[in-house]
Amino acid sequence: MKSLTTDPAANPAAILYHRCTVDLKTGELRYTDVPCRNLEDVLGGFGRSFQDLAMRQIDNAYCDENPLIVNTGLLTGSTAMTALRTYFSGYSPIKGSKAGRPAAMWSTGSGKFGAKFKWTGLDELIFENRSEQPVYVLIKETVAGPQVELKPAEHLLGLSTHAKIMALQQEYPNAHFAAIGPAGENWQQNYMGAVALSTENQLKSKQDKCRFAGRGGMGSLMGYKNILALVAQSRDKLGKVSEAVKKVNLNVIKGGGSARLQPISRGGGGGTWAAYDVLQAFHAVPVNNFRPQGNAIPEKLFRENVEKEYDIKSEACYRCGITCHNNISEKGADGSKGEFLAKFDYEPLNLLGTNLGIHAAGEAARLIQLADNYGMDSISLGVTISYLLAYNERHPEKPILNGATFGDYEKIRELVIKAGEGELPEIGRGSMRLSQATGETGYAYHVKGLELPAYQPETNPGYAWAIAGGHMSMATYGLLTREGKSDLDSWVKGITQNKLHMVGFDMIGLCKFFDIANGIGTQMVVDCLKSEFNLEVSTDDIRAAVRRAFLRGLALELRQGYTKAEFCLPAEVSEDPNSHINLPNITSSEFIAQLEKRVWEIFEPELEGILD
Amino acid sequence: MQVKVKLIGAFRTDRFKENIAEYPDGTRVEEIFSQLQIPKRALGTVLLNGLHARLDDVLNEGDTLTLLPILGGG
Ligand code: SF4
Repeated sequence: MKSLTTDPAANPAAILYHRCTVDLKTGELRYTDVPCRNLEDVLGGFGRSFQDLAMRQIDNAYCDENPLIVNTGLLTGSTAMTALRTYFSGYSPIKGSKAGRPAAMWSTGSGKFGAKFKWTGLDELIFENRSEQPVYVLIKETVAGPQVELKPAEHLLGLSTHAKIMALQQEYPNAHFAAIGPAGENWQQNYMGAVALSTENQLKSKQDKCRFAGRGGMGSLMGYKNILALVAQSRDKLGKVSEAVKKVNLNVIKGGGSARLQPISRGGGGGTWAAYDVLQAFHAVPVNNFRPQGNAIPEKLFRENVEKEYDIKSEACYRCGITCHNNISEKGADGSKGEFLAKFDYEPLNLLGTNLGIHAAGEAARLIQLADNYGMDSISLGVTISYLLAYNERHPEKPILNGATFGDYEKIRELVIKAGEGELPEIGRGSMRLSQATGETGYAYHVKGLELPAYQPETNPGYAWAIAGGHMSMATYGLLTREGKSDLDSWVKGITQNKLHMVGFDMIGLCKFFDIANGIGTQMVVDCLKSEFNLEVSTDDIRAAVRRAFLRGLALELRQGYTKAEFCLPAEVSEDPNSHINLPNITSSEFIAQLEKRVWEIFEPELEGILD
Repeated sequence: MQVKVKLIGAFRTDRFKENIAEYPDGTRVEEIFSQLQIPKRALGTVLLNGLHARLDDVLNEGDTLTLLPILGGG
């Protein structure tokens, strides 16, 4: 990134980012310094990639014209805490409109790959076309600037995400890695491939402790392009932490934003896993395909119950004091730590545990481990399987696939393995397609073709307007449960104003846990930009850029053929209200009709011309 | 008056799950909350008899007060 201004909002073209475009068909590489079009470009991530995607009309995710864009955010690799994000963008194989066209999508993860990528000197890598042979991509820092090379990768074929990273580490000991697993390699049958990102912890311990850019099948798109892995090789180039950034980082740790995610030993909530306890207070933890039963069954996977039998260790990505990972290992009879199993984040634990009728921590951990090793999005995988189990429960006389039912660990495990191996397209292609094939779409828990995270839709009608994963691009998931808001005005305001700002984190290179409540239009971010790059940006400028980026996402959905009727929750929510959820009903047909009317009245005029 | 206090998640560590205790009439939620020495930044939600409530709400005989940590996301 070259910066020739201190005022990027007024003069974005004076900021140039360094891009390499790789033609996978010819092997041709093109390096360019690209002037920014606006502040969204400067901030980066999907704020930039969606503008490039908007310039292409794509009708099928698996076509040569669909690019895979790998980029970072402005703060990725900086001294700000959590500044580790890498973004993968393209038209999604899994998320698509009923008109049959793919939606633009991005996915992001932490780990250290993003920082290493940035430190090579590159800001963005665009892959055009597809390679005939499997390749991995080496991005390295040289005295002449960043260099990109395509390398043969037959030896990596069929390896798990972790095994690919371990194999590459042998060759590139000072690098970090992004790799797909067998699911992404089997892109024809599996649309939910994830990209695994290496962590320091993983490379040191040799244990499969990756982070994932899971949503939207960006790993499958990478597999289609025949790219098995990316290697970012550079020195660590973390600058000296300024007093201003030190203050911000301290605030991230001590302020309200991340408290809930820090380890319990430090007075925090113990990572996202803590959502189990909070949602159970309302009987709103998804059980058996999003049908909580008003009983204590989810408590079996409460931390206090799991820690009796398993070792739980709080760990972190590079330099991050939030320490949000809960890594679970076997515990010996003498209390000693045994084999590492998996990380227990709320979404994978619920969607591959309680929501499948699996209540034994060891079984849930093994399913998470399998999903991670095959490189599948645990959310899409879990929700598609839970749909299948619900179907089989309703049709005991004529079950489908292997006849698995809720709680049948062995059969569910078989489904995960076969989906990962590309032998079960019914699962691998997601819940929307499976439910269309069975003809029973009402209890398929996706919105706009992308499976829901582990927050009951009854608690979050905002899902309908989320432009990427339901909880990563619309922060209304706590508006009812946490804030107790059940009136129309609060929901209209939440969706159209303050809660959409969460997507800003997916532009700038920070984790949402940096300041989950406030987004990136804050003095903390302003201070980081000033200190790291001498850029003067106001909180208002940032908020305006985030809003434009969000609206561009909505406009792109409409352009890809989504009708307004597709901005809706699964039909079961209003057709068969779940009386066990102890919260006011905000998903009645009347409430939703009013909400839709008022939200579109606000968004629609702003969408005009936004893609021009 | 008697009030039942229920704690959720990490708030239970070194405290209790559920406790019934006597409090003077007119006690407010925040008085009980501060007695429990839970950091304010960690408090997400207050429920009074299952409904969302505020720290300055006054408790009545037989009430059930539930204190929940902040819902974390992702
Ligand atoms: S908040 Fe969690 S995922 Fe994000 S950088 Fe820190 S430890 Fe990693």
